[in-house]
Amino acid sequence: MKAMNRRKFLKGSLLGGAAASVISKRKNADASSSFGGYPDAMGVLVDLTRCIGCRSCEAACNKEQGLPAPAQSFDDLSVLDHERRTSEGAYTVVNRYEIPGKDHPLFRKIQCNHCNEPACLTSCFVNAYTKTPEGAVIYDATVCVGCRTCMIACPFYVPAYSYSSVLNPVVQKCIFCYDTRLKFGRPPACVEACPREVLTFGKRKDLIKIGNQRIQNHPDLYEDHIYGEKEVGGTSWMYLSSAPFDQVGFDTDLGTQPILSYVKEFLTVVPMVLTIWPALFAGFHLLATRKDKQKKEEKSEI
Amino acid sequence: MEQIQKYLYGAVLVSLLCFSPLQNFAVAGDGPDEVEIDSLAQLYEPVYFDHAMHEEVTDSNCAVCHHHTLGTQIEDENCMRCHAESGATDEIACQECHSSNRFEAEDLARIDADKTLYHRDKVGLKAAYHIRCMNCHEEMGAANGCQDCHSRTDAGNKFFHAGNYAPPESDKPAGGGH
Amino acid sequence: MKTLIANGKIPLATHYNDDRSAKWSVKDKLLLGLSLSEYLAQAFRNPLNWFFAVIFSFGGYVTITRFIFGLGYVTHSSYDYPWGLFLGFGLFVMVPLSASGFMLGTAVEVFGRDDFKPIERLALLNGLLGYLFAVIFLQVDLGQPWRLIYPMFVSLGPAAVLFLVAWHVATYLTVQVAELVPAFAEMMGMPKLKTFIKSMILGLTIAGIILSTLHQGALGALFTYAPYKVHPLWMSAPFQWFHYFCSSVFAGLSMLIVVSTICKKTMAWRCDDNFLTSLDRLTIGLAKGATLALITYLVIKIIAIAHDGDWGYLASGWGQWYMLEMIAGVILPMILFTISIRNNLPGLARFAALIAVLGIALNRLNTALFTFNWKLYQEIPHWRELVITITVYCLFIATYRFVLYRLPILYTWKKDEEAAS
Ligand code: SF4
Ligand code: SF4
Ligand code: SF4
Repeated sequence: MKAMNRRKFLKGSLLGGAAASVISKRKNADASSSFGGYPDAMGVLVDLTRCIGCRSCEAACNKEQGLPAPAQSFDDLSVLDHERRTSEGAYTVVNRYEIPGKDHPLFRKIQCNHCNEPACLTSCFVNAYTKTPEGAVIYDATVCVGCRTCMIACPFYVPAYSYSSVLNPVVQKCIFCYDTRLKFGRPPACVEACPREVLTFGKRKDLIKIGNQRIQNHPDLYEDHIYGEKEVGGTSWMYLSSAPFDQVGFDTDLGTQPILSYVKEFLTVVPMVLTIWPALFAGFHLLATRKDKQKKEEKSEI
Repeated sequence: MEQIQKYLYGAVLVSLLCFSPLQNFAVAGDGPDEVEIDSLAQLYEPVYFDHAMHEEVTDSNCAVCHHHTLGTQIEDENCMRCHAESGATDEIACQECHSSNRFEAEDLARIDADKTLYHRDKVGLKAAYHIRCMNCHEEMGAANGCQDCHSRTDAGNKFFHAGNYAPPESDKPAGGGH
Repeated sequence: MKTLIANGKIPLATHYNDDRSAKWSVKDKLLLGLSLSEYLAQAFRNPLNWFFAVIFSFGGYVTITRFIFGLGYVTHSSYDYPWGLFLGFGLFVMVPLSASGFMLGTAVEVFGRDDFKPIERLALLNGLLGYLFAVIFLQVDLGQPWRLIYPMFVSLGPAAVLFLVAWHVATYLTVQVAELVPAFAEMMGMPKLKTFIKSMILGLTIAGIILSTLHQGALGALFTYAPYKVHPLWMSAPFQWFHYFCSSVFAGLSMLIVVSTICKKTMAWRCDDNFLTSLDRLTIGLAKGATLALITYLVIKIIAIAHDGDWGYLASGWGQWYMLEMIAGVILPMILFTISIRNNLPGLARFAALIAVLGIALNRLNTALFTFNWKLYQEIPHWRELVITITVYCLFIATYRFVLYRLPILYTWKKDEEAAS
């Protein structure tokens, strides 16, 4: 709640800075309710110790999201030789990491992490993103202007852009299969396709318990950390790993603060400038010109 | 579910290295000779699981796959806490316990409703097969590729963009973008 | 033009033609009082125009391909570097260099420093065109430029920093147009319009100060969305907006010195005596302002490093790059400005201003491109991206010159009576 109030306050201040008159009520309501962690948000716990890098999840996502045919078959594992990132043609990709001192590599599936307080959402100036109560961070391509600030803001380098399109380039990222599945309470396509249940789908708060239980039962197997439980304010997709997280491609420097908190220093300045500046400079003007006037009067007296 | 896995690893080793028939309540030959696993056949053809052969391989230690359900002695301490004395159960087939619609809403709701349920993190049927089979195959150096056990259907080839549906040869790097 | 003036032509600066028999028509005003053939002849004589011709024919073609084949054709379509030169240079460098408008507006209209009047309009024009072209750069870069007004009227994301930038730049452009209307009104002979604007000039100026403070700062705050991507030495969440605002002060003033120098050197015929004679004094005046801002900037930069505990980074390669930027782009001009003020050396101040301008450009490019994704690989822009950037910048220069030749920016429009006497 606290976070929500702060948000409303900040937003109000920016509005004042722009033009309070032209705000549509509907969008406003949407935006304010979209912040904060939803109690029943769903999530996925990704357990790297189980992943075999079969790319079934990639194939499932490709089909579910109607993405273009891949350049290579999904059973072609040679693509794992290079580290890949999400792209306009692939909302999720699996990468292989050789772990020093271990004879088995680890595989990591990446996709949008569906942050609790998404940086993409907070940075978007047309409010194209929505965090749904189900936990998905979805995107409205019909209002996107294409400034790509969300790509700058996402700490996980997730959103991609269809640069090749001339008339309708849009941001492309995993949407947690919201339209086709999550909305109806069904698991995402990639979760369903995974043969080894690397991806455990459930309520986010339950997944944290499950993750902790796995760590507790097998302290020798798991790193004692659920990546995403706290990172940048918490994410709906979280990870367990048997190798230190920085060895499997995670950015372990991300703090626990949501990205918004870094921006708020500036956002709180806005109302100050708006209220103080006019009075201040009008005052300066009076002072400066009064001197002039006095001078003139003095001159005329002489 | 990891506790089961770990236990199973141990069980395989134990049964191979210091086999003791007294540990087994079930006897070789009691089980079916062959099981057709078709519950998930869509992208892949059904698997014909040679149960008899696997009994042999595990030296008839049913617990390797069936946990405590056949009354076999449990080794994993986590499991032992409850199942040391629990004996054989009525249901022994994998799908009796491992749900084949693991993450569907009803399944999640069922787990959610039972606040005292201990096995909240029990893998679904597909994962139960793949984790059990593949971990053991790897351990034993047996064939472990997807199509070593089940050949892909036409729908599967389409799904993977492979076989007849393979993309034309191209020198484009996989993935694309940076 | 010089040749023409040597031949006795007087540059157009009144409503009436030389022998006061008739009013200049709009066409005459556009052709600088020359006949069409004279005008074309002088244009052909100017080598800069030949240079522009080459740039525009090739660069114009490349620019058009961006709209035909999409961004993917002219850039590397990088997902990791979503902002390339168009924004890195066009937005983040152009905007601080255009901060001159609000500062001179403040000095003259708010603080009553009428001694800066001769250069006020040039400052306003520099601001207006800088912003205008920043928006043009933005239009080149946006995926769907035709949706530019969406953040204003269609779908609003009022909690986003870019929302503030969009609104403020739009409003500020309007303010600057209004502030320059008097010049236009003089030339077109519309005194009422001028009086009308003059009556609200104080309000406009103060609006300009607010808008400028906020959006100059907001450009910095945009990078606080990527606290882990920009190198810590260039990124300090609590101070970022203030760094950007403060540096825009000396960037704008230095750019004004540079532009006024160029005007003096290349189009002295268009400047009136008032401008030419006071320029040296004004340059020193501007240098004083810039020096103060430079000192403040240097101090808050150091405070930010101390606050964030980034000293350790200074020893790294990035740290040396940072020191280079600070020494060459901030400390050096600061020293040169100080010497020039002490010894009244406007020439040196001009040189210092040029360095400061380059320094600030380097700072913005460093934040937006070079140190962005410092943990990843370095992105080298596509050559087409570079060509388009140069083309749009040349268009900026050409427009700048077009306006300076005509509107009473560098010269004072002679009142009818004066012209008659
Ligand atoms: S991972 Fe990136 S794209 Fe996904 S919700 Fe978080 S900030 Fe947005
Ligand atoms: S949740 Fe859906 S969109 Fe996201 S990676 Fe999985 S299949 Fe793709
Ligand atoms: S489908 Fe499962 S096992 Fe296969 S690559 Fe994806 S996450 Fe790993």
